[in-house]
Amino acid sequence: MTASQPTHVAFRAVSKTFPDGTQALKDVSFEVARGAFCVLLGPSGSGKSTLLRCVNSLATPTCGEVFIDGQAVTDKGLPAIRRKVSMIHQQFGLVDRASVAENMIGGALAEIPTWRALLGLYPDHFKTKACELLQSVGLSPEHLQRRAGDLSGGQRQRVGIARALMLDPQIIVADEPVASLDPKISQEIMELLRQAARLRGVTVLCSLHQVALAREHADQIVGLQRGVLIFDAPVENLSDGDFSDIYDQEPCA
Amino acid sequence: MNPPPVGLSQDARWTYPKALSHKDIGLICVIIAILLVTGRNVEMGRMVQLTASAVSVTATGQGQSQVADGLAKIGTSLWPLQISETTEIGRIESFDRARLPWLAHIEKRTKQTQTLNPETLQMDSVSETAEYLVEPLGYLGHVVVKLVETLEIALWGTVIAILISLPLAFFSASNMAPNRLAYTVARSIVSFLRAIPELVSALFLVLAYGFGPIAGVLALALHAAGFLGKFYAEDIENADTKPQEALTAVGANRIKVLRFAILPQVMAQYIAYTLYVLDRNFRMATVIGLVGAGGIGQELKGRFDMYNYHHVATILVGIFCTVFVIDQLSARLRRRLF
Repeated sequence: MTASQPTHVAFRAVSKTFPDGTQALKDVSFEVARGAFCVLLGPSGSGKSTLLRCVNSLATPTCGEVFIDGQAVTDKGLPAIRRKVSMIHQQFGLVDRASVAENMIGGALAEIPTWRALLGLYPDHFKTKACELLQSVGLSPEHLQRRAGDLSGGQRQRVGIARALMLDPQIIVADEPVASLDPKISQEIMELLRQAARLRGVTVLCSLHQVALAREHADQIVGLQRGVLIFDAPVENLSDGDFSDIYDQEPCA
Repeated sequence: MNPPPVGLSQDARWTYPKALSHKDIGLICVIIAILLVTGRNVEMGRMVQLTASAVSVTATGQGQSQVADGLAKIGTSLWPLQISETTEIGRIESFDRARLPWLAHIEKRTKQTQTLNPETLQMDSVSETAEYLVEPLGYLGHVVVKLVETLEIALWGTVIAILISLPLAFFSASNMAPNRLAYTVARSIVSFLRAIPELVSALFLVLAYGFGPIAGVLALALHAAGFLGKFYAEDIENADTKPQEALTAVGANRIKVLRFAILPQVMAQYIAYTLYVLDRNFRMATVIGLVGAGGIGQELKGRFDMYNYHHVATILVGIFCTVFVIDQLSARLRRRLF
């Protein structure tokens, strides 16, 4: 993607301190262009997840704000924001005991009235959509009835991606989507995510800890270390040295 | 960067924790002391002594044992089971000779009775002949009917318990309760319900609703609601939070999260608890019948008070068989669920 696109998500001086005193984010500011694939890179505990959770208000910054389309993310407009922002999780976030079909409907719950959801009367267009999406992520119709817990890790994350697309989001927040998968499957999942996002013009914010995957798939890479932004640049402007910096300077505990 | 330390022996902090600390040993001593004192109070020593003597008397056939004699007496008075039922025809209202119950027949029996002849002041032997209706499986049938009634009481006790406990569980799960007040109130209700034994609430409910199954159903339902409310709530609290967060992140409200992220996780466990409560309610239903709350217990109590131990034996065997069947059925059902 090109930097000529307008800004979609902007972090402005975001800081987050947890009640126990840990400072997860220190004054982080950067912007992501519409349709860009932005990877947050950094070792464990560098604040990637917290930063991502600030986008859909699962975490609230202590200081600073996150803007989507120029509007600040606050609790007030939360339903509208969560409808725009989908999430993909490290541990997939699926209900293992429920069927893939039920899990897929989970992604569209914001648009289904509560009584219909309780009675299992899901609107037909969501059922059709779920089938289409599962097909597009490479699953077959037989998977629909299977319990999510019976699928392999890669298949589960495919369901996770399909679920995230249920409400045609403008932004996908992916928190370590491949951390629990092996390298080959990780590669496949990243390609799938990349493709799905490009096809629909979705902006992706994805945290990773594998430098190679980040360099291959990202448009823009943001380096974090212990809650501080180390670099923020288009992928082609970054050198090997930049990456080794964020990992090597880990202080010895 | 500092070079990693070579060898750990210099660092005093690297000592492996002991399997048993002084605290653990102290705790074990306290537990032993408590067991010794309480064991003395509930006469555990005498229990061991009596049991041992009963075992030795049974094994060797010599000596005397209060326990062995008692058990033998119970055994002989219970056996054989009472299966048939005999009723004097004169006592049956609107008896129809042409339409006898299934398998039944009429028997003439002569009974010798000693009566005092007022003229001679001698005891005379008078023989009376009466007709009796003999139903070979009569009493068994009666027990089965009562067992079914008990099952019905247990079933309805469980149904009402579920209805009461589901909303209570929702409010008494800390991650679902809308506010602190609702949580505290719901928790208190659940604890209160669980704190009152069925037998006690049945006593009061019999006063309120009269003898019969209503009191039994309500007594079982109230206690089981406390029971289920606690377990349902704990399962909601312990459910995996990741799916819940995933659904919250896409804008699902609390009820939808409960339905889509929590319910599928806890459903199998809920059914297991409910089956256990049904099983328990059946056993308790036999007990609360003793205070007049309907079912087989009422029959048991009546027969026991009339020293009809053969009837009691039939009832006990009936209860055992029913519990066994319920246990098998619920085990099979659970296997299919998990």
